[in-house]
Amino acid sequence: MLKQELIEKNPIRHLKGESDAKESSRMGLVMARAGVGKTALLVQIALDSLLNDKQVVHVSVGQSLDKTKLWYDDMFKDIAEGCKLDNAAETHDSIMRNRMIITFNESKFSLAKLEERLHDLVQQNVIKPSCMVVDGFDFVNGDRAVLEGMRDLAKAMDLQIWFSAVSTDGVEVPASGVPAPCSGMEDLFNTIVLLKPVSQSECIDLNIIKGSAAVSKCGKLLKLDPKTFMIREDCK
Amino acid sequence: MKDLSKVRNIGISAHIDSGKTTLTERILFYTQRIHAIHEVRGKDGVGAKMDSMELERERGITICSAATYCDWKDHSINIIDTPGHVDFTIEVERALRVLDGAVLILCSVGGVQSQSITVNRQMTRYRVPRVAFINKCDRTGANPDKVIKQLREKLGLNAVPIQVPMGLEGDMQGLIDLVKMKAVYFDGENGDKIRIEEIPAKYKEECDIKREEMLDAVSMFSDELMEAVLEGTPTEEMIMAAIRKGTLSLEFSPVMMGSAYKNKGVQLLLDAVNDYLPCPTDVENFALDLDHDEAEVKVTNQPGDPLLALAFKLEDGRYGQLTYVRTYQGTLKKGDSIVNVRTGKKAKVGRLVRMHSDEMEEIEESGSGDIVALFGIDCASGDTFTRGDYNFSMSSMHVPEPVISLSITPVDNKAQDNMSKALNRFTKEDPTFKTYVDQETLETIISGMGELHLDVYVERMKREYKAEVTVGAPQVAYRETITQRAEFNYTHKKQTGGSGQFGRVAGYIEPLEEGEYEFVDQIVGGSVPREYIPSCDKGFQKCLEKGSLVGAHVTGVRCAINDGASHAVDSSDIAFQLAAMGGFKEAYMKAKPVIMEPIMKVAVEGPTEFQGSIMGSLNQRRGMIIGTNEEDAYTVIEAEVPLSEMFGYSTDLRSLTQGKAEFTMEFATYRPVPKSVAEELISKAQKKDKK
Repeated sequence: MLKQELIEKNPIRHLKGESDAKESSRMGLVMARAGVGKTALLVQIALDSLLNDKQVVHVSVGQSLDKTKLWYDDMFKDIAEGCKLDNAAETHDSIMRNRMIITFNESKFSLAKLEERLHDLVQQNVIKPSCMVVDGFDFVNGDRAVLEGMRDLAKAMDLQIWFSAVSTDGVEVPASGVPAPCSGMEDLFNTIVLLKPVSQSECIDLNIIKGSAAVSKCGKLLKLDPKTFMIREDCK
Repeated sequence: MKDLSKVRNIGISAHIDSGKTTLTERILFYTQRIHAIHEVRGKDGVGAKMDSMELERERGITICSAATYCDWKDHSINIIDTPGHVDFTIEVERALRVLDGAVLILCSVGGVQSQSITVNRQMTRYRVPRVAFINKCDRTGANPDKVIKQLREKLGLNAVPIQVPMGLEGDMQGLIDLVKMKAVYFDGENGDKIRIEEIPAKYKEECDIKREEMLDAVSMFSDELMEAVLEGTPTEEMIMAAIRKGTLSLEFSPVMMGSAYKNKGVQLLLDAVNDYLPCPTDVENFALDLDHDEAEVKVTNQPGDPLLALAFKLEDGRYGQLTYVRTYQGTLKKGDSIVNVRTGKKAKVGRLVRMHSDEMEEIEESGSGDIVALFGIDCASGDTFTRGDYNFSMSSMHVPEPVISLSITPVDNKAQDNMSKALNRFTKEDPTFKTYVDQETLETIISGMGELHLDVYVERMKREYKAEVTVGAPQVAYRETITQRAEFNYTHKKQTGGSGQFGRVAGYIEPLEEGEYEFVDQIVGGSVPREYIPSCDKGFQKCLEKGSLVGAHVTGVRCAINDGASHAVDSSDIAFQLAAMGGFKEAYMKAKPVIMEPIMKVAVEGPTEFQGSIMGSLNQRRGMIIGTNEEDAYTVIEAEVPLSEMFGYSTDLRSLTQGKAEFTMEFATYRPVPKSVAEELISKAQKKDKK
């Protein structure tokens, strides 16, 4: 299979923001219970950008560099194997050059530091990202102001930013459909999706809470392969 | 015979410059093995005891792990001082193999640095229980709490302090022992007079909190203690037993602190070694049964059982070859005859000594679990000794392949002789150091794990063997491999005069995912006679030694033969070897060969303000930056950089960051070189061929 086909099967192709939002500076949010695959989907989103020869910054709060790197390696391997990608090793090496991981200890994350780092990277000509994924941002204690700052950053740097958040179970979901702890913040995001494992059917439902799917056939529900997080064949 | 429960074989391991040698020096002083303290970089020029090699004294680093013996409160402790630089990791690994427990030293300012991570990983691999010692608490900026947090986060240890420092930096008074709930002061010029008092009021509250935390953590390992804590009556013995249990299970790491340089906390560390680190019978060691396909057999540690001893280090001293051995089972006596399992050769134990850095003490026998040195035994490091009644080997150690090589040329005839003596010795001492003569240029090539690694050996040749050599530019060990399957069908024919040669082989070569080489025999119907099939194998292997691209070693190839022809009279072993070689060469270029280069995993640690320029410097060197990790004022940048680009990086880095950043690197993997570099390498190789 060629790189092109890989790109087409990526779920992010099917996520459109609200009509007025520019794709290049959108804010996205992936929500799920712990262990469903938030990081996997974020990595998938990042890989999509990488396969399109764009550059990506992966911000990981509370996870080590090695672990984050492993996510990419595993994810890429699964996809490459699952789709029988030709010259996988070569593609891997070439796209990983466009990825940069910045890790923060849980308590050490700050917007100012991140901004400084990003400017550094652009200035030193190391990387000019068009996509940034932020894994492990603390929404429970997180400040709305920080997220607003992130939105400004997205606009200023022409950067799409995707976050992950752990949805809390058992709490009533408000009318907006956005579960805690992110309810009340939905106005900050252009796209919000919720991942849910479907028991006994070997797939993961991707519910689009905000924004719309590009493919009308599936409406606001996409089915993903739990291993590769690609759209399943029967739903295309 | 010594009571095994009173023996400790411990290692002292840490990042470069965290003060290992200084600490060892203090330990030797307090255990009365030495009578004056000499600093590593002291003005008296004597140097620390453990840095026995001249070169080590000069550079202020420890290269060889000297074994030292001392007594502390009726326990015998064997200490292996291990080097901190990554280039010498094999030394660290070998030392770890024979250790039962270890002290992990950390700098209270620098915290967990890259080398600590490597060492910690190695310790986990060999299942070595450890206690942590936060050294240099007298330094400005000392912050033991931060270090403990890093121990948990970066090394994943369940690190819990069992002491509280009274004052930090300049005004460090002493320590509070949370087990005994007493304040400990270290009086006298050398801190050798211990004064135990009640805890000063101002530390009382902090100590109560910290003790609570410690009890919470250790009561996980003892139900008895758990109950006692709930009832509010835990005793010292119970706590100590629980800490010991947790430490031995590798699920708990007690953290001690102090300052070796300022003579604080060393005695308490020694107590902890006795109390919490394992004795030889506490840990399980396995031997490999060579008669039964290397099946693992647990060693018994019983002095009465058949002898099993491992030579883990060789040293060439003033008195001939010195072999450090650890006895795992049985007793080693003076006058015994022992057998080297690898070579089957018998030897007699002439002198048995206990080592104290470079002085020694004659002993009569060594019980199991002990570390001693032998004289005049011919062996390589990693060899196992028995009495000949046992065909067991202590497990083979993991030895990485060398990644860098240098050509060396002796300046005169005398140097030539000395050089071969030195090389002979070094290759026996250090399995990662290899040497061979290049058949084409007739130069002697030495290869090893890094620039500094080879540098040290060249220096040692000069100093210890008076072999003056000129050194060529460092060469990276490139490799070649193929990327696709290709067929061959080759006939080797020679019928001019004498007996002819005839052999035809057909088959294919293809990339092999794992492993270096595989030979597959798919001949059916005897088109190649059975007796010539090994000849084909041999022929292929000869081709692998030198690839056609740049003459590098070829790896990752599966060679298969599936057809061929022979001649009743003219076929021979050599004819089929040549046919296989011809076949390989025919297919090789069709199989799209590529050149692979060693890629190093580089971690640069430096102040945040230099982060940008550090990244720039890595980028220039074809580095692929994997990411950064933000610490308070420090940033760690991890990257994968081709080894060929790393020559001289330490100088560059120093000038770039005013000497404030440091880096470590270790071999990561082999990866194909980019096209432009490959072309350059090929044209260079062709030029060399023409000469």
